[in-house]
Amino acid sequence: MMTKDRPERAVGRGPRRRGMGRRKVCRFCADKSLSIDYKDSRLLGTFVSERGKLIPGRITGTCARHQRRLTVAIKQARTMALLPYTTAYP
Amino acid sequence: MTDRRYETLVLIHPEQGEPGTAELIDKIRKLIEEQGGAVTQVQNWGSRELAYPVAKQRRGFYALFEYRAGIRGLQEIGRNLTLMDPVLRFVSLQQDENAPPAPVRHLRKPEDEHPAEDEDQGEGFGEGEGGER
Repeated sequence: MMTKDRPERAVGRGPRRRGMGRRKVCRFCADKSLSIDYKDSRLLGTFVSERGKLIPGRITGTCARHQRRLTVAIKQARTMALLPYTTAYP
Repeated sequence: MTDRRYETLVLIHPEQGEPGTAELIDKIRKLIEEQGGAVTQVQNWGSRELAYPVAKQRRGFYALFEYRAGIRGLQEIGRNLTLMDPVLRFVSLQQDENAPPAPVRHLRKPEDEHPAEDEDQGEGFGEGEGGER
């Protein structure tokens, strides 16, 4: 990805694109057939950390609209013991 | 009364065993029908490992019911489910009218020791997708 209209500039100015990571695209926008379902623990599991915590959309690239649905689905999956609240239980 | 599409996922105590679970699923199905529900699909997911212990159990049977019912009916179904001792937990959700019926991907054998391994979809991030633009 390149910004051609902006040649060399001090880092920290202009559109903020730190590092050279590629632009993240919301998986649910990219694949319309992919639905957010609380029963799909395998898919939801990719949006929580190893400790079972929700990963912010800014990390995963999920758009705000889908992130909202995702958080609800993950919490529903947790109440049904399909996903853990945390890994640390006795 | 307007009927709506609902789905209910039920977590059943592992003590019930295979036959007991099948019986209970039948009972819940009858309960839904008694409350004026039209059952479109019943899925028995079999015994699955739980993400955390519930009622000191590490495994449990899951069953999914898809049906159409009225609001009163749904309330009654929920009330009756809370009264069933082997039902550890359940969740009822309204489905979109045009949503496809739940695929049967979760069905697995009870002796399957490693659930969550042979489900069809779901890849991690950063697998070469979404890189355009």
